[in-house]
Amino acid sequence: MTSLIASDHKYDDGDKIDLAWVPSIDDLPRDGLVTAYKIYRITNDGAPVEIAELTPGANSFRDEDRELDSTYSYYVATMSDGPTVESNRTAPMQTEREWLNLDRKFMFLVALILGGAIIYFIETARRGKKLFVRRIAGLEAVDEAIGRATEMGRPILFIPGIHDMDDVQTLAAITILGRVAGQVAEYETKIRMPVARSLVMTAARETIKAAYQTAGHPDAYSDEMVNYVTDEQFGYVAAVDGIMVREKPATVFLLGAFFAESLILAETGNSIGAIQIAGTARPAQLPFFIAACDFTLIGEELFAASAYLSGEPKQLGSLKGQDVGKMIAMIVILIGVLAVTLGDGWGIQVMADLANTLKMIFSGS
Amino acid sequence: MEHFALWLAAFLTLGIISFLYKDNPWYKLSEAIFVGVSAGYWVVILFWDNFYGKFWLNKGDDPTLWVGAILGLLMILRLAPKIGWISRWPLAFIVGATGGLWLMNYFSSNIMVQVQATILPLFSTGFGTGFDASFGQIIGNLVIFVGTFTGLVYFFFSKEHTGAFGKTARVGIFFIMITFGASFGYTVMSRMSLLIGRIDFLLGDWLGLIK
Amino acid sequence: MKRQVPLFITFFVGTLLILSVFIPPMENLGENFTLFFDIIAVFAFFLGGGNLLRVHFKKLSKKKRDWQYSIVTICGFFFMLAAGLFKIGNPGDIASSVTAEGSLFQTIYTNMFVPLGSTMYALLGFFVASASYRAFRAKNREATILLIAAFIILLGRTPFGTMLTVWIPDSMSIAQIPNLAIWIMNSFNLAGQRAILIGIGLGVVSMSLRLILGVERTYLGDDSA
Repeated sequence: MTSLIASDHKYDDGDKIDLAWVPSIDDLPRDGLVTAYKIYRITNDGAPVEIAELTPGANSFRDEDRELDSTYSYYVATMSDGPTVESNRTAPMQTEREWLNLDRKFMFLVALILGGAIIYFIETARRGKKLFVRRIAGLEAVDEAIGRATEMGRPILFIPGIHDMDDVQTLAAITILGRVAGQVAEYETKIRMPVARSLVMTAARETIKAAYQTAGHPDAYSDEMVNYVTDEQFGYVAAVDGIMVREKPATVFLLGAFFAESLILAETGNSIGAIQIAGTARPAQLPFFIAACDFTLIGEELFAASAYLSGEPKQLGSLKGQDVGKMIAMIVILIGVLAVTLGDGWGIQVMADLANTLKMIFSGS
Repeated sequence: MEHFALWLAAFLTLGIISFLYKDNPWYKLSEAIFVGVSAGYWVVILFWDNFYGKFWLNKGDDPTLWVGAILGLLMILRLAPKIGWISRWPLAFIVGATGGLWLMNYFSSNIMVQVQATILPLFSTGFGTGFDASFGQIIGNLVIFVGTFTGLVYFFFSKEHTGAFGKTARVGIFFIMITFGASFGYTVMSRMSLLIGRIDFLLGDWLGLIK
Repeated sequence: MKRQVPLFITFFVGTLLILSVFIPPMENLGENFTLFFDIIAVFAFFLGGGNLLRVHFKKLSKKKRDWQYSIVTICGFFFMLAAGLFKIGNPGDIASSVTAEGSLFQTIYTNMFVPLGSTMYALLGFFVASASYRAFRAKNREATILLIAAFIILLGRTPFGTMLTVWIPDSMSIAQIPNLAIWIMNSFNLAGQRAILIGIGLGVVSMSLRLILGVERTYLGDDSA
């Protein structure tokens, strides 16, 4: 092998060095003579240390966790059944730290536009401008579902998924809980919320308690509304299924991060005749909710729900901001598809360039 | 001992399955065991992996880990009625960090990358030479373009689904329903094989009726 | 104070993590947070586990309906806890892995936890059948589309689907059910999936911003509390 080059990795914390080389002419895909490449590092003129052994065909390596104030030099040994051949030694070098990742400048720009649009509409709405938001069937049904439980004198079961507070879906569920609990407090209905995570229990209690306080029924609140069961996915499901068939809630909310248990819970809820409102951002589980629940909030609708239910202008403003995001996505897709078609199909270079530029801007890294 | 373990596993398996008939003492017993044992299991795993493994062993090398421990302690203050409100600090920390992390992750993986992947040619000289291959690709790309575009229209919140806009949104929901159908159909077989796995355990491992 | 400090913490931490994506020296902040979170979760378990015990002891002492099962839950919990914390029956000393083969902890896990969990999971086999049946009876257009797509994909994944359309000549291979299934997965399914994913992305961005900016603050409870 020849021409080993070591270079500082761009846009890092000064902790990575990239190595690249031209593989040996004996390194062939079939019946090649090379058995491996061994990479050696020399730190501060010390003794060489083997840091990696790569399979034949390799032509690059990234050495990570380096330090800023040391010098590094490398060589690569080409291993074969015959003699071992060593490459040139690279000149001693130091890593550099960059304070801004300029590779992500376009990502920053697009994020700024999207975030800016959301914040702009939140502010516009806060200042009193009326913004239209269409009806979302699953959310219009919330009121009715709570009313039904009240009439029947049965509890409402609220399941916030099986993930912890480090999942935005759980956070969405908790914020929806805030709205639901407010109505539950007003109607003086019973709410029941078994959870699979301790932190979710804490957050849910804070939320329900606040909702009861705001509704003017602080005395009706009790910590017993929310209880922890187990962190185990199916252990939790076994318990919730038991609660469903024994307490026969009139209304079941299944909102948050759900996995295989989605259908077990939704089918059990269906079997007891509960009205079910479900929602998740896990696309794989959505079909099961659609099949077994009365209303399903699909992906984005789950995150929009708390804003929608709050009815607060500034919250609704953020939904308008999201629409701007959709608009941008649609325009970029439209222009991109046209450009790449004209570029690829009819060889119009300007269009091909435009398509490539769009792809580069939206590379996501 | 091995015999006992096998019978125990079979007893619990049947207990859970009995739920399909109706709620009954056997299921309640299996459920009670499951909840108790699994809660115990997770506290042990949390203790050894997270507390001992991630914090205790490394706290000397990485003093920042104390931030986690202190926030954890603040969380427990919830048990003290007078200063319970301090537990909102760690909660606020978690919410802020989760928001920040997810915002950028999803922005990149769900918005940027998906938009980029939809920039596909509807006609190209580069498509396969055979008529079949290129035709299939063109139609495929067209379907992806139309489906993604109209699907996004469906999710618009600030415009009523009426008129031409409403019609487009209905095309969008058509695509979304096919997507749901496809992933439903895709999963059915694997769910069935789970069930067959348990039946196999009962009839094979336990009763020895099938080998 | 009770509300302003948490709002500031959320804003500060959230903004920092967003910026960290663009600032290389801060790139590891996300990993650090995950680590902190794991540690916080251990402490939080005092609250959750404590609540589990309290609920069941209360049920027991008040002899509420089904109180007998609470004894089982409490015993199961402490049994597993003791087995794991003291590493009972572990080959080697306390430093050995808690899940080491032959330990009491691992034995309970294999013979109780696993069969219980996998059977609960396997119930899905029945539920998937009952849900399909219901979808089959649904009369609206959306459900019909869903069902047809599901049926083609399901057939495409079974030998029966291959058998059914094997007579179609190779020049029309796209009409053979397994190929058709693959084509639907890669076109229609992908399209719908993308629209949903982009929507979710926008939803997450907006939700996170509302939380970080303090527009959404229900989770923080009430001022007066």
